[in-house]
Amino acid sequence: MHHMLHIKNGIVIDPKNGVKAEKMDIFVKDGKIVEEGEISKNEAKVIDASNKLVVAGGVDMHAHIAGSKINTGRTMRPEEMRVVRLIANKFRTAVGRVLLTSPAIGYEYAKMGYTSAFEAAQPPIGALHTHEELDSIPMVDKAALPVFGNWHFVLKYVAEKDMEKLKAFIAWAIERTKGFGVKVVNPGGVEAWMYGGNVSSLDDQVPGFNVTPREIITSLVKATEELQLNHSVHLHCNRLGVPGNYETTVESIKLVDGIKNDSRQVLHVTHVQFNAYAGDSWRTVASGAEAIAKTVNAMDNVTIDMGQPIFGHATAMTGDAPFQFTLHRLTGSRWSNKDSEIEGGAGIVPIAYLPKNPVHALQWAIGLELGLLTDSDKVVLTTDYPNGGPFTEYPYIMAMLMSKKMREGELERVSPFVQKASNLPAIDVEKSLEEVIHMTRSLPARVLGLPNKGHLGVGADADIAIYDLNPLEVDTSNDFEKIYKAFKTAVYTIKDGNILVKDGEMVDEYWGKTYWVDARGKADMEAIKDDLNEFFSKYYTVELQNYGVEERWLKKPERIVI
Amino acid sequence: MRLIIIKPKTEFVVTVEAEITPDLAEKNVEEIKRFKVYYGKDRVELGELFEVTKEGDDKKLVLDGDFSRVKWIGCRMSDGEIVVKGNVGANCGAYMAGGKITIEGNADDWLGAEMRDGEIVVKGNAGNLIGCAYYGNATGMSGGKIVIEGNAGNYIGEKMSGGEIEIKGNAGDFIGTEMKGGTIIIHGSCGFVGGDMKAGEIKIGGEFELVPTFVMQEGTWVGDVNVKGEGIVRKL
Ligand SMILES: [Zn+2]
Repeated sequence: MHHMLHIKNGIVIDPKNGVKAEKMDIFVKDGKIVEEGEISKNEAKVIDASNKLVVAGGVDMHAHIAGSKINTGRTMRPEEMRVVRLIANKFRTAVGRVLLTSPAIGYEYAKMGYTSAFEAAQPPIGALHTHEELDSIPMVDKAALPVFGNWHFVLKYVAEKDMEKLKAFIAWAIERTKGFGVKVVNPGGVEAWMYGGNVSSLDDQVPGFNVTPREIITSLVKATEELQLNHSVHLHCNRLGVPGNYETTVESIKLVDGIKNDSRQVLHVTHVQFNAYAGDSWRTVASGAEAIAKTVNAMDNVTIDMGQPIFGHATAMTGDAPFQFTLHRLTGSRWSNKDSEIEGGAGIVPIAYLPKNPVHALQWAIGLELGLLTDSDKVVLTTDYPNGGPFTEYPYIMAMLMSKKMREGELERVSPFVQKASNLPAIDVEKSLEEVIHMTRSLPARVLGLPNKGHLGVGADADIAIYDLNPLEVDTSNDFEKIYKAFKTAVYTIKDGNILVKDGEMVDEYWGKTYWVDARGKADMEAIKDDLNEFFSKYYTVELQNYGVEERWLKKPERIVI
Repeated sequence: MRLIIIKPKTEFVVTVEAEITPDLAEKNVEEIKRFKVYYGKDRVELGELFEVTKEGDDKKLVLDGDFSRVKWIGCRMSDGEIVVKGNVGANCGAYMAGGKITIEGNADDWLGAEMRDGEIVVKGNAGNLIGCAYYGNATGMSGGKIVIEGNAGNYIGEKMSGGEIEIKGNAGDFIGTEMKGGTIIIHGSCGFVGGDMKAGEIKIGGEFELVPTFVMQEGTWVGDVNVKGEGIVRKL
């Protein structure tokens, strides 16, 4: 390993630092980006990046890459496990079509120039499993977001309006699960599912608790902001996958109107495509993307990610257990239901997005509409892997957002239903290369609250991707095939200053960090002691002292104390 | 008169995965020897594990010796002929689309899995999962014919949608599970038959057990009513 790198003559795009396609050199020492004077030129390994694009490594802020859901998906979909990507040799065996094995996940991210990936829904009681899997994903930095929106402690404290206990509980839970932030999935709806139901609005009463989804969301946002966690509340809205749900999404976004945070949003709404449907049935369904984009654009404290479907195989897996059952009934496909005791649940259903299927084509169009109509400073590029499809097709989304011509070609092969049910055909917006770089790097890093990620300024982690693309020459409107190909496989992927991919081939295996947030110093941890003892003795199958993940069990933990 | 003769050089310590088809016969011996196969996790050349000789010009492979640890023989073949002089390993004739495979010994599991056309004849016994769908897939054998002169194991023709499987001896349990079309003929006896069968026909010469969700109509059993099936089970 070279402890110094000199990346020479590349064309750098670094949105966070205002660098717009400038020819410049980047210097790396001991895993960080440094000033030129910090390195000794004759010791540094020189990488010739002439006529190539140099950017920060990609940051995937929302994917399902570890834990009981993806593993159940693998188990129930043996047909996903027949694509052999790599035979064990210098690297480990990598298998999978869209659902990948743990090593394959790390390898595919690295090949694409991505260097960080966040597991977006960790069932708290399954935290150890999640971390065991994260520890089997090489190449990238990672973290996991435990789910809070249906946890009985949360419902109790929200009902009692006890913010001090809620804060202490969040701090306790994030520490115990070695988690990173507060994920909320269909707040109240998964608890209702325990009785076979769901919630249908922000004001439904959650059975057994005197609370509503509205109160759960606002209380969790308030607690998260008071704790000053790196990442804001990360919300999977109520009524996912239901025609007409865009109104609930708009309403949920507006709940944080007026709440301020200087460094980031106070609410991130995830895989919005699945929550952006107008109409009142699958026959009258239409895009609600425009209303959502307008709402997000008009606010200065909300971000979203796309949840873009990719035509082909996918597996729906969410903590939204009632939705998964609805999907199973709709498609007749295999279904697995998961119960995580008093914390919530999850479900898994295989799906394939077909271009000629009117609803699938509309979902595809809505994802793109959201990407195009929302300010580039507020929408992150995701597929909600593997719900919308493979993360390996991010380059397709990047190219589509930049080229109307490419979209016109694609529109010809999809169901004509899209023409009347969405505005995609009429949208002329073409994002710039700088914008899509922001949407895949600096923006997700800011949304997550990781100041050393997603940019190439001095002090940043030396997570760097070099692509075979000259931004000074490329015509992003017309050269979409070239763009797609360039972003599919990085010429170089550099992680913490280590060269992991060279000329599109992996050259080294590397183990990234697992971030976790320690907010215990920000709350009165004694306040919840009695409740923890009581709930664990009454309701859990495990003892309190056996619950959770110790830091020393993790391969490369990175504790962030706030 | 025969084209390619392939003989194992040794007894294999781990299984070999060799997707060899009669298409090999269109190559010269040196090219055939360079054909890539897996020996355990190692990718090796056919010539490292097998002796290869060439005689004549038929599109035919003769596999001479014990191939019971060699998997995927004839996988995806579309024409020509393979004769296995001994036993053959799992997945023989999987996804086959045409041509003929004759196995003079016994066949292992997954014989003719998801095959679409062509013919497989086994002179000895065969294992489980003949003509089945691979786990997770919706449709098994959809065409062609498989004949077993001896006995066969469990799970025969699961999810099959077309073609014919004929077993001259006895078979095990779960015959024609989730069957959607085609015909299974068993001259001897077998265990449970027809679970979740939707269509197609199963004819049995000997004893068998039927799941209780079949109804007797004009001398044949029709079911599985559990899935509103109209499959037919009858005595041969
Ligand atoms: Zn998700």
